[in-house]
Amino acid sequence: MLHGHHGELTVGEMLRRHGISRRSFIKFCTAAASAMALPPSVGLAMAEQLRQAPRPSVVYLSFQECTGCLESLTRSFAPTIENLIFNIISLDYDDTLMAAAGEAAESARTKAMQDNFGKYVLIVDGSVPTGAGGAYCTAGGRSAVDTLREAAKGAAAIVCVGTCSSFGGIPFADPNPTGAWPVTAIVGDKPIINVSGCPPIPEVITGTLLQLVATGKVPDLDEHRRPKVFFGNTIHDRCYRRPFYDQGKFAKSFDDEGARNGWCLYELGCKGPTTYNACATLKWNGGTSFPIESGHGCLGCSEPGFWDLRRPVRGRVGQGRRSFTTPGFGGDCNRRGGRRRDRRRIRRRQPPATTPQRAAWHRP
Amino acid sequence: MIRLADIPVRIEPTPLVGGLGGGVPAILSELASLLERLAKAEEPAAIDLRSLPMSAQDRVELRRALGEGEVQATLTAEGISNIRETRVPGVWWVEHHDRNGELIAELIEVTRMPLILMSATDEIASGASALREQLAAAAAARAP
Repeated sequence: MLHGHHGELTVGEMLRRHGISRRSFIKFCTAAASAMALPPSVGLAMAEQLRQAPRPSVVYLSFQECTGCLESLTRSFAPTIENLIFNIISLDYDDTLMAAAGEAAESARTKAMQDNFGKYVLIVDGSVPTGAGGAYCTAGGRSAVDTLREAAKGAAAIVCVGTCSSFGGIPFADPNPTGAWPVTAIVGDKPIINVSGCPPIPEVITGTLLQLVATGKVPDLDEHRRPKVFFGNTIHDRCYRRPFYDQGKFAKSFDDEGARNGWCLYELGCKGPTTYNACATLKWNGGTSFPIESGHGCLGCSEPGFWDLRRPVRGRVGQGRRSFTTPGFGGDCNRRGGRRRDRRRIRRRQPPATTPQRAAWHRP
Repeated sequence: MIRLADIPVRIEPTPLVGGLGGGVPAILSELASLLERLAKAEEPAAIDLRSLPMSAQDRVELRRALGEGEVQATLTAEGISNIRETRVPGVWWVEHHDRNGELIAELIEVTRMPLILMSATDEIASGASALREQLAAAAAARAP
């Protein structure tokens, strides 16, 4: 998909120009594979594939978002952001990272899109507000929804970074005052990869981009278009507290004996059993820890329906209300009606007209 | 980026539950079968140590079991890498550090020589032409 365009600068050529030796690059790919929990052989294969791969133009669009995803991306340990943007990709537009501003920035975007029509990778961060004619999010006098539709036309693939662009996220949550939608509801005719999470794990973002460039193909995706290599297991499947779940040992409050002993947080509302992500294996901050290791249950931030269906627990649970131990666990036990009503309400929403055919957006 | 070690937060090591627990014999037996494969079919392999739930004690035991061999190489490429052959021929302990000295990958490679140590064909060719140019420049400087 990305490959097969001859006469372009390859990653290998770029590395040579920057004086980066083959050994440095093998080391870089080995570290990247290790950070992504992939077998070491994949790292070596990736080094060879990447050296021959064309270095793609990347346009990064930020819509209705908090910049947390970009903050996460810039903290990737392996590969680091500087390694990625100087050697692997050509980041031609990112309104937060680029030095240019105003007219110069916008013309860099249109030039990159014209010069690389049909070949560039489009990264979208943030949901797309469609209410009030798109007026809730504009840049350079254009609405996010128009900018997305135009940029999607020439994209080889779209990578949605974060739960907002993947599934709508916080802006999409009830009552959704801006008429926000995920990218899949707007664009229907392009390969879309969802890298969800609020924010996604930095190495999952860079790893997905690295594999996309190395192979030139969209990786294997799950039913929500997330890369299976990172989203193939639930947090619960790989949680180090899992043995306590199996033994029926649960913390009942955040300060009880069970919590101090590191027992399972399921009864405190942990969404680990229904959340697919790599937090329990890749962890955060260069492999330091993940929320459950810090004593808090998983919020389920990488799943469709976050925030409405997966908001964190407030107050005490199980006092005359639905308990988390009942079947259908995972809803909001503190609100009457709870999960089922939320689900019905979200399903009633109709996405805006898509281009050219209606997209299959992922209903929670 | 500042190093993780510079952030003044003490990280409590996670108590290992459900980990390998006495996983050293399992790793050693996997290494033995990988070595047999290398001897028979010239098929190199590697184990990513960071992907295994090993305790600090496991690591010390594994190091002791494998010991130190004859070859120790230091690679200086975007940070230091230590590549050491263990007492078991064909089993190499590889540690990659970044420019800040942070450990970014730790592997045990089962191979005749880790690929990263060998000079690459394209780089050998460009090295040869660089030497030729240097000679030509020196000759031009000497010419009257």
